[in-house]
Amino acid sequence: MKKNISLYIHIPFCKSKCLYCGFCSFCDKGEYVLKYIQKVKQELALYEKILKDRTIQTIYIGGGTPSIVDAFLIKDMLSFIYDNFNVEKNAEISIEANPDSITQEKAIMWKESKINRVSVGLQSNKNETLKFLKRPHTFDDYLKAIKSLKQAGFKNINTDILLGLLNQTEDDIKSLIKILAELNLTHISAYGLMVEEGTALFDFVKSKKIILPSEEISVNLYNTASKELKKYGYNRYEISNFSKPNFECKHNLNYWQRGEFLGVGLSSYSFLLGEHFENTHNFFEYLNSGFKRLNIEKETPKTAMEEVIMLSLRLESGLDIIAFNKMFNVNFLEKFDTQIKKLLSNNLIEIKDNHLKIVDFEVSNMIISEFF
Amino acid sequence: MAQRQQFIRNFCIVAHIDHGKSTLADRLIEKTGTLAKRDMSEQLLDSMDLEKERGITIKLAPTRMKYTKDGQEYILNLIDTPGHVDFTYEVSRSLAACEGAILIVDAGQGVEAQTLANAYLALDNNLEILPVINKIDLPSADVLKAKQEIEDVIGIPAMHAPAISAKEGINIDKVLDGIIDEFPSPKGDENAPLKCLIFDSYYDNFKGAVCMIRVFDGSVKAGDKIRFMHTQKDFEVTEVGYFTPNTQKADVLLAGEVGYLCASIKKVADTQVGDTITSATNPTKKALAGYKKVQPVVFSGIFPADGSKFNELKDALEKLKLNDSSLDYTSENSTALGFGFRCGFLGLLHMEVIQERLEREYGLDIITTAPGVNYHVYKTDGTMLDISNPSNLPDPSNISKIEEPYVLMHIFTPPEYMGSVMELCQLRRGESVDVQYIDDKRVKLVYNIPLNEIIYDFFDNLKSRTKGYASLDYEISDYRPSDLVKLDILLKGEVCDALSLIVFKGRAQERGRQIAEKLKEAIPRQQFEVPIQAAIGGKVIARETVKAVRKDVLAKCYGGDITRKRKLLEKQKEGKKRMRTLGSVEVPSEAFINILKIDN
Repeated sequence: MKKNISLYIHIPFCKSKCLYCGFCSFCDKGEYVLKYIQKVKQELALYEKILKDRTIQTIYIGGGTPSIVDAFLIKDMLSFIYDNFNVEKNAEISIEANPDSITQEKAIMWKESKINRVSVGLQSNKNETLKFLKRPHTFDDYLKAIKSLKQAGFKNINTDILLGLLNQTEDDIKSLIKILAELNLTHISAYGLMVEEGTALFDFVKSKKIILPSEEISVNLYNTASKELKKYGYNRYEISNFSKPNFECKHNLNYWQRGEFLGVGLSSYSFLLGEHFENTHNFFEYLNSGFKRLNIEKETPKTAMEEVIMLSLRLESGLDIIAFNKMFNVNFLEKFDTQIKKLLSNNLIEIKDNHLKIVDFEVSNMIISEFF
Repeated sequence: MAQRQQFIRNFCIVAHIDHGKSTLADRLIEKTGTLAKRDMSEQLLDSMDLEKERGITIKLAPTRMKYTKDGQEYILNLIDTPGHVDFTYEVSRSLAACEGAILIVDAGQGVEAQTLANAYLALDNNLEILPVINKIDLPSADVLKAKQEIEDVIGIPAMHAPAISAKEGINIDKVLDGIIDEFPSPKGDENAPLKCLIFDSYYDNFKGAVCMIRVFDGSVKAGDKIRFMHTQKDFEVTEVGYFTPNTQKADVLLAGEVGYLCASIKKVADTQVGDTITSATNPTKKALAGYKKVQPVVFSGIFPADGSKFNELKDALEKLKLNDSSLDYTSENSTALGFGFRCGFLGLLHMEVIQERLEREYGLDIITTAPGVNYHVYKTDGTMLDISNPSNLPDPSNISKIEEPYVLMHIFTPPEYMGSVMELCQLRRGESVDVQYIDDKRVKLVYNIPLNEIIYDFFDNLKSRTKGYASLDYEISDYRPSDLVKLDILLKGEVCDALSLIVFKGRAQERGRQIAEKLKEAIPRQQFEVPIQAAIGGKVIARETVKAVRKDVLAKCYGGDITRKRKLLEKQKEGKKRMRTLGSVEVPSEAFINILKIDN
């Protein structure tokens, strides 16, 4: 049996840069889209040998804003993959989209390209917040976009929302989730707003032009979101990810289960054959030079163990102790006896059915780092 | 033979800190051509980095210089002295190796506390004193006033004192002439049995302990059998020589000379400052006066921040001890901090120097507990215990009385700050002994005060209350009974022995409250709430709470974030290594010492 692998394709083009965005994306390089997609195909071809031995179980076209790219190009790129590599029959094939660039035609074309999951970036249902965040759409655009997707036959739709926004209240969250639930989405990602260095938001926060909600309020917003989502049948399966039963995002689950993934395109990351590596973040270098794997980091038993712990403890299912022991030929409970005792006595973790789980995701990093 | 000694002068330079001692030493070395200017780095005699950074001198480095006056070549031996109150005994032994002392007074500042203390030390050792007024290049210089102060406050003639600028090199030759004209030459008996004074020693990896010595009588050369009269240990001399200031081998050291001696001595502890070296085959009858065993006065616990580094810490302390026989340590075990050492120091500066050297030279992360003093604890059964570690204090019901060490403290301050200084002294339980107006610009305050009250932040407080103008000096006087109690700190309900303190009962409540507040600032928020309590004999007198952390990054984690996130968490873990886990509470290393930093 062939090994499974996930494929990530980065599309670094956007209509505008959002205030908080720390991803590698450009608003002024639309003229290079064609050349870029060609380059991505060339890069994929490089991995032919490795991919021939593997089955692609998920493909994720992320960005940037893949939805602003001509749908023919997306189709062309996916066809190249289907023609040359082994893609599982029921593979999960996702594309990230912004409401303003989703059209009926595009949606149909995506469907024809065998895309079966669309992740729509909404962030907020308040137009003034969207404007403030420099999002290129309104809430109305979003509703239209969902309609188009549904008409094209998409059943598996995710929507991203942000928690910890300026002046955001628990009531805001409740009403937003109610609307989303009524749209019958299969998946909702609720991310805490991160202030990343190098973003416009970072500068605003640093210069105190923007005061974001306190830790206390952010936590309450998160807890409210979790509770509301659960009420409408969305199960939390990872810190920030909620889905209807069986609609967990397989592509992301593969990250968290520390499966292999190949990332192609500008700034993409890979974990392949026990090595982490990444591509350049320089647009023209990617476009015009040969391919180079950067920051190659070979896994060691220590880093592998840390990653398994870090990733699995983000999941609602927790860390599978038996699998861990088998994987690393250790006794997890003995190895981390002091940490486990301390965390148990403070009611921060629980162990059930050979799985170790975090009780309260609010302090997950603190708990995870105990095991490092 | 006395002819030879006529052309030797052994002297030292004493001064209040920053009055220019090291700069003058540099100028003398430069002027006598002992070192070419290009070989000199500023303030040559201070050899340890730490000293350079702080502008203080700790170790002594004697330098042999040649100077020709009226066609006659003289040998001038400069013995540098540490300028800090912690090292008074070492200073006194250095002085004992000299016939004369240059007393530097800053022309702008006048006589200060350490000027006085050092001048008295020199007088006690029967040294001829040559006052020198330094920093005449400064606009604030008032040479005549400085001279007048020396006469009035110290009581020695000063009108002929050279007025110089060591920095600018002005009138340095007048100092050199003064050394020759004012200071007596040594008058030892070269044919008498060997008698030399050890005024310092250091450890050399190849030669073993190197003694810095002043030969009073007789002579010493390689191959001689020698005896240390106080330690009663015999050795065979392997090498003698002098410092230029680098070591330079010599055939023999004769009466009146200053130099070094090596004798395959394994431990610096065998070469105690103040001990007398004599011949093992033809010993002198009487050792030189003035020897005493150095006693530590300030104590604190030193623990490895990473509990597994105990052996590294032990090795480092052993190595430091090789060079510093005044450092005292015994192993101790704290419930909170694990295995470590209770260390005794000559004073706070000495303590800081040792801590910094452990961290800097040995790359160790250490936790230092709050410094304390040695108490005499009398039990009801009549026995007396020396207690320097608060957690060793017996149960109060078994104690009949506790005595604590007092010091006699001299403070010099401009009169406008007098009220504030007196208030500070009173707050710290000081008893006024004397108030003396030196002139319209300065008052001398003399206090009897518990050592424990001044070892930590007293000097910083004094400086801030007087805008840096006050100076301070003290000497240990006696032990007196005090009403003292043990203050315990509880974290999450558990006593943390490393945070316990012995405090004056009358101020225990206030101290408990201040420490709880300090800890609240110092302890980062954890996954759970941390109550902090201060208690005396089980009775809680103050309480604070560190609230639990509510959120730490609910950020997404995509493929690209995996290595980055892992590294972030690894870093978070590294940060934790600077913390100590007490029960289940993580406490940063600095907290153990910072709890005493209280502004008043």
